[in-house]
Amino acid sequence: MHPTRQTIIGPAGKSSWHSRKRWTSTDLSLIAVFAALIAALAILPGIPIGSLGVPITLQTLGVVLAGLVLGPTRGFAAVGLYLVAGLAGLPVFSGFRSGFGVLAGPSAGYLLAFPFAALLAGFLAVLILRRAARFRWIGLFLAGLTASLLTVHPLGIAGLVINGGLEVQAAVLADAVFLPGDVVKNALAAGIALSVHRAFPRLLAPARRPKAGASS
Amino acid sequence: MRGHGNLLGLYVPGNSALHRTPLWLKVLLSVLLSTAVLAARAPEATAAGLAVVTLALTIGAHTPAVQLGKTVLPLLPVLGLLLAYQGFTNGPVPAFVTAGNILVCVLAARVLTLTTPGQELLDGVVFVARPVRAVGGDPERFGLALSILMRSIPYLAGSLLDVRDAARARGLERSVRATVVPVVVSAVAYAHRTGEALAARGLGEDDRPTPGA
Repeated sequence: MHPTRQTIIGPAGKSSWHSRKRWTSTDLSLIAVFAALIAALAILPGIPIGSLGVPITLQTLGVVLAGLVLGPTRGFAAVGLYLVAGLAGLPVFSGFRSGFGVLAGPSAGYLLAFPFAALLAGFLAVLILRRAARFRWIGLFLAGLTASLLTVHPLGIAGLVINGGLEVQAAVLADAVFLPGDVVKNALAAGIALSVHRAFPRLLAPARRPKAGASS
Repeated sequence: MRGHGNLLGLYVPGNSALHRTPLWLKVLLSVLLSTAVLAARAPEATAAGLAVVTLALTIGAHTPAVQLGKTVLPLLPVLGLLLAYQGFTNGPVPAFVTAGNILVCVLAARVLTLTTPGQELLDGVVFVARPVRAVGGDPERFGLALSILMRSIPYLAGSLLDVRDAARARGLERSVRATVVPVVVSAVAYAHRTGEALAARGLGEDDRPTPGA
């Protein structure tokens, strides 16, 4: 298994994440496979965590991972694709829910925030992985946590208020229940993302010159 | 690797009136019903909406009772909490309207997924996405990505369960690292293989003219 050599095809060989680049077929399949990964994590029963064994669902773990592993644009696309597939009716949301009916439900805000969480987490992750040589785990953890605090929780609370008819205070309280699990999941996502970047060092590389060659 | 046949949609094959209705009409009707009850915010509208979706599911789509239970049961905890909260703060009528409207929307959307095969739904999404061509999007690549997504879910879910079993055998079933890292790494490898296979067949490339080329 040595697929670190990135396929570079077509006129879009130079792929830099910040300019408006063309996605190669490898990018396309990374996006689709990560969307599928979020779906697989969302529909399987949660894993019991820690000594208390509280099961946590791993849907949000997949969302943060998509950003931390794929970077901002591909991460956003992967989570967006997952959302589109779910809204279209594939049973990919947690608890086998699906269809655009979830947009009327109280958890709609959380779902709609997911792509933006991946976007922000990916943006911060690229900064950290390019600049920092040490404390990368802390950096990625803070990137994921920042992204989820700035996007998932505000939009989630907004969804609870608008669709669930909760008072703002009650919505904030209801949302706070998810915070401890969120911290745990971001810590896990940072470690997992580091392992993946060690296995595939070129996933977020700027790839300015193809002469760098295979790095396996 | 384990099979996950139930992942490709909640479609129940059948020959009911709603199974034979074209997709666009079903989408139109269920969106209209959802927006109508949400806009009205009246108990009469919610009750009427609930009656319509119930009739659609039972008579229109001949939904088996088991499937109906599977649809409604996962919603009950959230709806119950909402009912209790709203009933306590605003009274029983707003509670019924809020929870009932959510139920109507979810069930109206579920009528679609129960009576339309998953692939047909995705084809519908790609069809709807055609206008993005005007702003530089590419609906064909979008459709390709959706197909890869559908194909990958059973593979990844099976791989997650296999790795979880392997971790359990080593006494590590509570470690998320041991249960998720191998899956993500193999998912990235799988995506690279799929990308190379697509490129080798000339699929998924961006064949629009390059600006400045």
